[in-house]
Amino acid sequence: MAAAERARGPEVGAPPAIRADRLEVVRGGAVVVEDASFSIERGDFVGIVGPNGGGKTSLVQAILGLLPRSKGEIWIEGLRQHEFRGWDRVGYVSQDATSFDERFPLTVRELVGIGLVSRKNMGRPLRAADWKRVDEELDFMGISDIAKRRVGELSGGQRQRVVVARALVRNPDLLVLDEPERGMDASALERFYGKLSELHRERSTTVIVVSHDLSTVFCRMSRVLCVNRVVYSSCVDGSTEEAALKKVYGEHFNIVYHRHECTERFA
Amino acid sequence: MSGISFSDVPSLFGYQFMQYALIGGTLAAATCAAIGLFMLLRREALIGEGIAHVSFGGIALGLFIGVYPIYTALLLSVIATLSITWLRRKGVASSDAAIGIVVAFGLSLGLVLLSLSGGFNVDLFSYLFGSILTIDSQDLTISAALAIGVLAFITALHKEVLSITFDEKAARVSGIPVEGITFAFNILVALTVALSIKIIGILLVTALLILPGVAAMQLRLSFRGTMLFAVAASAVSVITGVVLSAVVDVATSAVIIFVSMAIAAIAAVYTRLGDKT
Repeated sequence: MAAAERARGPEVGAPPAIRADRLEVVRGGAVVVEDASFSIERGDFVGIVGPNGGGKTSLVQAILGLLPRSKGEIWIEGLRQHEFRGWDRVGYVSQDATSFDERFPLTVRELVGIGLVSRKNMGRPLRAADWKRVDEELDFMGISDIAKRRVGELSGGQRQRVVVARALVRNPDLLVLDEPERGMDASALERFYGKLSELHRERSTTVIVVSHDLSTVFCRMSRVLCVNRVVYSSCVDGSTEEAALKKVYGEHFNIVYHRHECTERFA
Repeated sequence: MSGISFSDVPSLFGYQFMQYALIGGTLAAATCAAIGLFMLLRREALIGEGIAHVSFGGIALGLFIGVYPIYTALLLSVIATLSITWLRRKGVASSDAAIGIVVAFGLSLGLVLLSLSGGFNVDLFSYLFGSILTIDSQDLTISAALAIGVLAFITALHKEVLSITFDEKAARVSGIPVEGITFAFNILVALTVALSIKIIGILLVTALLILPGVAAMQLRLSFRGTMLFAVAASAVSVITGVVLSAVVDVATSAVIIFVSMAIAAIAAVYTRLGDKT
């Protein structure tokens, strides 16, 4: 879907970006996600939270086809997962995307450039228009000044911005980030999520973020999936999410609301 | 020692065997450097060692049954590469264990076949340590064909291989055929190792694969710069090694590797001196 078309918002009646029905995922012989049914509408900004080992990463990997599902069905933009052919419109940043060898001989610009590679353009060299797109994405993520630096020389926050830029350079309709806050201090995190919110606002990209940062999830996102083997879906509206959190973290869990206003609130 | 003097070096280039050695050696070195850089980035440097040792079994098989040994080395190298990949993918063994298993098989096969054929001979030594000065026109043609194949693969698919190497999961999601490209890359590794045996020998081919990349990565260049430096360094190693070995009259493959090591050391020192200033 072109960026301009997406910016007008999803068509009325358009199928959801993701729909799962009675999804079960098995990993290493154990069921890690059980009987999960939920839908994520186009243009949603979704947080996936839950305790360690609860199945968050397995859930997104199953959605993306990286892990097989043992039961249930997944639809992407109305098509069954195995029928979906628009994978070049999906951007993914895995948990360990920034854990690369610091001697890896790529500049920031080169790394973002290889983000343009997909099945549809395999073997084709990058053209001037492609590099222009790369430069636009570097500019959007605020990393044009480090374009010529090698990726191994970057700080944690810079690395995260670069791998996100790499995922964004194909202008995806769906962006999935798994624990993007790794290696970032509070200031870098604030800037990073600011950019993500800006992306979501300007391009109406469906964004799914797996995160341990509950305050950011409830400040910036419209919907939360709480995962601890079972998936509880809730809107972030100040009333229903606490029940979902208690179900995954335990009844002892209490939400403490700060007095300050979120600087970036999903409208 | 009965080497030649430096003043006689220019006359060497008039001999056909020396021309074949320099051209064939340079082609093989460039190919090894290009493939070897990707092997380093994929942390698969030791796979070359495994394939080389299996080639020993392949060479022994060829000598035993009377077939050109490089062909049987090629066949077993391809089987070895696919076996290592299979063992890792299926979780039967970790990467280093899989290589160890395959090495053990190759060496054992070679020793059994040598025992059956009456022991070691001069032919086998030339495969163990290389015989670059005996390259003929057939070897040159094979080296050229391999170099063209590797160059075509890297030119067309280096972005895809880099994408898979950097983040395999993201590459899969974007639709890149990870298994297919990895399979093709592994076949090229097997071909490169087997076809470089005559140049540098079974025991030193891994060094020719990884040293140029190690040298290039010291310099902290872009990917394009790193690849170009690795290929150039490898070519310089071979040319310098062939000439120097004629002057000093020692084993050519060893001198090539010493030159390659020296280039890597100089690159490392240069970069660290630059850090201090």
